[in-house]
Amino acid sequence: MRTSPRIEREVIESCKAGDEKAFAEIVVHSQKKVFNIAYRMLGNLEEAKDLAQEVFISVFDSIKDLREDVKFDAWLTQITLNHCRNRWKYLKRRQYFNSDSLDDPVETEDGDMPRAVCDPSDNPETLYEKKMIHQLIQGGLQKLKEDQRELLVLRDLQGFSYEEMSELLGLPEGTVKSKLHRARVDLKRVLERAAH
Amino acid sequence: MDCEKIRDRFSSLWEKELTPFEEKMVKEHLASCPECQSEFEQFEKTMRWLHSVGEVEVPDGFLPGVYKKMEDRKRIRMAEKSGKKWLNFPLPLKLPVQAVAMVAIVFLVLYLTKMMPQSPAPLSVGKKSEQALAHKELERGRETLKIPAEASRPKDVEEAKAPLPEEKKIEPTPPQVRVETRRAEAPSPKTEVLALKQIESKEAAKAAASSPEPGKIEKELRAKKKSVVAAKPPQEIVLKISDREKAISQIQELVKQFGGEMLTTKGYGFLASLPKDSFSDFEKELQGVGSGGKTDKGIMREQSTGSLRALHEVKKEAFEGESGEPAKSVTDKEGRIVVRILLIQE
Repeated sequence: MRTSPRIEREVIESCKAGDEKAFAEIVVHSQKKVFNIAYRMLGNLEEAKDLAQEVFISVFDSIKDLREDVKFDAWLTQITLNHCRNRWKYLKRRQYFNSDSLDDPVETEDGDMPRAVCDPSDNPETLYEKKMIHQLIQGGLQKLKEDQRELLVLRDLQGFSYEEMSELLGLPEGTVKSKLHRARVDLKRVLERAAH
Repeated sequence: MDCEKIRDRFSSLWEKELTPFEEKMVKEHLASCPECQSEFEQFEKTMRWLHSVGEVEVPDGFLPGVYKKMEDRKRIRMAEKSGKKWLNFPLPLKLPVQAVAMVAIVFLVLYLTKMMPQSPAPLSVGKKSEQALAHKELERGRETLKIPAEASRPKDVEEAKAPLPEEKKIEPTPPQVRVETRRAEAPSPKTEVLALKQIESKEAAKAAASSPEPGKIEKELRAKKKSVVAAKPPQEIVLKISDREKAISQIQELVKQFGGEMLTTKGYGFLASLPKDSFSDFEKELQGVGSGGKTDKGIMREQSTGSLRALHEVKKEAFEGESGEPAKSVTDKEGRIVVRILLIQE
């Protein structure tokens, strides 16, 4: 689990009252999580940055409507996922992902890197190998269906519990588990196909 | 348990969520099935790689970027609000303003269409509308010219329908007063003809529209009256005689006596021209010539009074007329009176 400590209730209440400092605190506290979900979902740093900023603007605009019984983290993740879905559709309509293949260079946090075809059975011990692995995973995620990508990002990259995922996605836990398993198997196939 | 069911439990096995019994069964199958074992190894590596992916650091200037975007949004909203201010007004305020504006536009359009000179439209619709307008104007003109009816309605209608030149010929010796009245009541034939001509040209239509003005119509009527008096046949005096030759010689003498002259002497009808001053005396003397003068006196009187009244009116108008020249010419013309004397043998 890589979830950050929960933000204090007072900060959220201050932000609801229009306190910009409280808002800044919320941004600083949650920006990494929002940005990473966006990046893993979209596969592009610039798009992810822009989307994450949009998410926080939405948070500032609508935090006054946040009910007390709703968890802020779940609410924020929901906003992020909604933004990601909309942006994904928007980019897909503009054929943004058409040229994307596992052989194309993938934009990573360390810059664009050429895709290296490697066997998943190789020992990924070195840093270079790690980067290549990250690149492969990111490329593989982009090849999956959107809902599969969501499940993998939330569970395997962001460490959400099945219960949280069930609430976020509005699905029973059993369905979440079975869907997640199918997404993992599909990712494995994508990576194998890229290796051969 | 078959391979498919074993492979469906890979995620649960990897997350250690299987019951001890299930875990034992799966592990036993993996140990006995190399294909499923290989599949699980690949799956395990994929999961390891996936979990090895670390988080990406947030780019610098993330928060200022959020503030900047918020400012931009605010500015856009303000611009939109100022642009759509009218849309935000309450409906009870907007509706009356819109209604007033609509009415104003309609009036403006009507005003402009009336003010603008209309080009001769080739469309039949345009002509029709012009004709309708001319007819309306005619109707208005008739209404303004209506005089309390002396003659019966059908006669008026007939006269209104009859063309003007024929009208003069049909009634050679009508009592002048009645003619005048009828003329006043029925200016329509002339006006209608005029109006029809005017429809053809736009200027003429304007003239038709202005014709019902009372002053102009009165002038027209006066001019008509003058022309009628000038063109009317000579006055008639009917005399009942017993001896034709004697009567003729007497009449000739009388005419000469009053400074007149005989114009024609054919059969029982004479045309005599007499100075207007001596006409009344001549008339009196002439009554003495006829033996049955009493019986025809009424007719003669009526005719003579009618003609005299007409003459009097002509004179009066000639003197009252605004322009001097046309008045003079009338008096010159009417300085002498032409009389037709009819002799009836008893």
